[in-house]
Amino acid sequence: MSLQKVNLVVIGHKDHGKSTLIGRLLYDSDAIPEQKLRDIENEVKESGRQGFKFAFLLDTLEEERKGGLTIDIMQIPFKTKKHLYTIIDCPGHKEFIKNMITGASQADAAILLVSAKEGIQDQTKQHVFLTKTLGINQLIVAVNKMDKVNYDRRRFEEVSEELEDVLNSLGYKEVPIVPVSALNGDNIFKGSKKMRWYDGLTLTETLDKVIQPSILPTNKPLRGCVQDVYKLDEANRIVVCKIETGILESNRRVVINPSGERGVIKKIEMFGKDLIRAEPGDSVGLIIDEVKEVKRGEVISYSDYPAKRVRSFVAEIILFSDIEIKNGDVLMIRCGTAEKKCKVQRILEKIDPVNLTSQEISPNVLEEGEVGKVIFSALEPMCLEEYSYIPELGRFVIEGKRGTTAAGIVIEVEEDLRKKLNDKRVLD
Amino acid sequence: MDLNDEVSSTRLQELERKSIAIIREVKAQFNNLAVLWSTGKDSTATLWLCKKAFFGKIPFPVIHIDTGYKFPEIYEFRDKIAREWGFNLVIAKNEKAIKAGLSPKKGRFECCTLLKTETLKDLIEKEKLDALILAIRRDEHGIRAKERYYSPRDKEFKWDYKNQPAEMWDLYVKPAEDYSHMRVHPILHWTELDVWQYVKEENLPINPLYFAENGRRYRSLGCKPCTVSVPSDAKTIDEIVEELKTSRIPERAGRAQDKERAYMMQKLRSLGYM
Repeated sequence: MSLQKVNLVVIGHKDHGKSTLIGRLLYDSDAIPEQKLRDIENEVKESGRQGFKFAFLLDTLEEERKGGLTIDIMQIPFKTKKHLYTIIDCPGHKEFIKNMITGASQADAAILLVSAKEGIQDQTKQHVFLTKTLGINQLIVAVNKMDKVNYDRRRFEEVSEELEDVLNSLGYKEVPIVPVSALNGDNIFKGSKKMRWYDGLTLTETLDKVIQPSILPTNKPLRGCVQDVYKLDEANRIVVCKIETGILESNRRVVINPSGERGVIKKIEMFGKDLIRAEPGDSVGLIIDEVKEVKRGEVISYSDYPAKRVRSFVAEIILFSDIEIKNGDVLMIRCGTAEKKCKVQRILEKIDPVNLTSQEISPNVLEEGEVGKVIFSALEPMCLEEYSYIPELGRFVIEGKRGTTAAGIVIEVEEDLRKKLNDKRVLD
Repeated sequence: MDLNDEVSSTRLQELERKSIAIIREVKAQFNNLAVLWSTGKDSTATLWLCKKAFFGKIPFPVIHIDTGYKFPEIYEFRDKIAREWGFNLVIAKNEKAIKAGLSPKKGRFECCTLLKTETLKDLIEKEKLDALILAIRRDEHGIRAKERYYSPRDKEFKWDYKNQPAEMWDLYVKPAEDYSHMRVHPILHWTELDVWQYVKEENLPINPLYFAENGRRYRSLGCKPCTVSVPSDAKTIDEIVEELKTSRIPERAGRAQDKERAYMMQKLRSLGYM
């Protein structure tokens, strides 16, 4: 049987041992070339930082090794009996939140690391909140550094209780919590003689048992984002389209939104062969009959469940860096392949990602590093969906002068919004 | 590493379609792009992906950076493939530095920087390129593991690896300003083994230096003075695939610039090296 692929992100407060845990996972799964191990051992000796061996495996920048802090994300594979995991290591410190989110946005599941010694810290809560906001519903907790608390059961239970409160308040239910020492390898791949009181599964056994690999969203309505149109000659035009959800089949009638054009899929082409169907992830060339013009950014769907043409929507957004958002600002929003100007109609609230509460209702401004709920209005109709319905078109980024500067999840679109706007609490 | 011994054609399909989607994104977003081709397995696979993405015809230049120190097999292979695949090959060479006698003997860091990075810089300026497709992979080297699919370079061509823009989901964003050109890495998520499986599946031409002769072969191709072969008996692609499933020698073990001194790759790359 072939192994299934799972992308895992490791999150948690700085210094709670993320790099050490990942180094341990690699080491115990036999994924590290011998020569590399020898190099690392020499370097550890030279640096005089004993015990940092596993973290050194991960950190590749000079600054990271000297400072002992991860600066950017890194992706590394390891294997268990059941899955081929790609583990995404993200920096934990505050100013690198955008790197943590970049990593988390590619993950199917998250491992939250909490130090048994220090317990829950600010970034513990912040990371879980952001992970949940990004739509990652699979979570496992490792209570690390059990060696630093003499493998004490009472301490583990204390931290677990605190954790359960936080996780429940965010909507994570029945999250497995495993006591581990990444440094010594207790309960990572192998069980622990020092924690005989724990009769649960090790961390990797837990992963194998509870994590479900992501499945292709073939059973959702068709959404295909137009990437480009290639004119091979006067008569032949190939529409290049990336399928996000559903199945595209030839000879089917489609609607292309927001323009509203209609046509028939005459041919689905890959280089050198024709297909009868294309599935999520495929980028295919299409010959479409009966349509006049198709442009990058449009969405191809079937008319029974057409891509929505949205004028306004509510979203939860996370601001990374070099950005500040005020009521009335016009921003460039990228969703699928579409780039559309949207106006900040109203900032509804600012959410405190550490205390997980509403920090301010109707603030005038959202700043770097903040999370908020916002009503946007698109200057012209655009196709997006509620995240709960079609996640692939329910998430977007805000473009800034250096690239992606903020990200958002669509909570409600137009129709439901009208009802909401009649609600006095929103209008004041 | 035998991480991918279960690699199936499904995995290759997944890798391929993501790469093709990225290549099409760059073409749609940038005006003046090119792809860098060393003639090695990774960049040859990337050229093939470009060919597929545009239904057989690569609609932008293919750049080969010639340091003058490459293996004769590299030049032969380059000219043969360029003829057969029919693309616009542009050869970039720092003639001035080569004539002045620059060589690895005078320092590898300086040699790599002048003959590769500077040559590339000059070409980007001359051709006014705003995006460049490169075949680097995360699993090749620790510092490359920090890369994004879209990696903007500033006006001095530097890579600000400590302050990279976020990259979310599959939304590859072109910055509005503050960059000189975009480095695009469509096979960032592939492993060495994936590339070989793909070469086999697609029956791609491959440089003979990769195959063992007298018990040694090259696993990564660079300049002749700075690249050594590794012990191997793999004479065919199948044998290479088998070897990689059990090998515990890093891919770039034969590449001197990775080892010369600590963090040399980090320093080279932050200055604009590939």
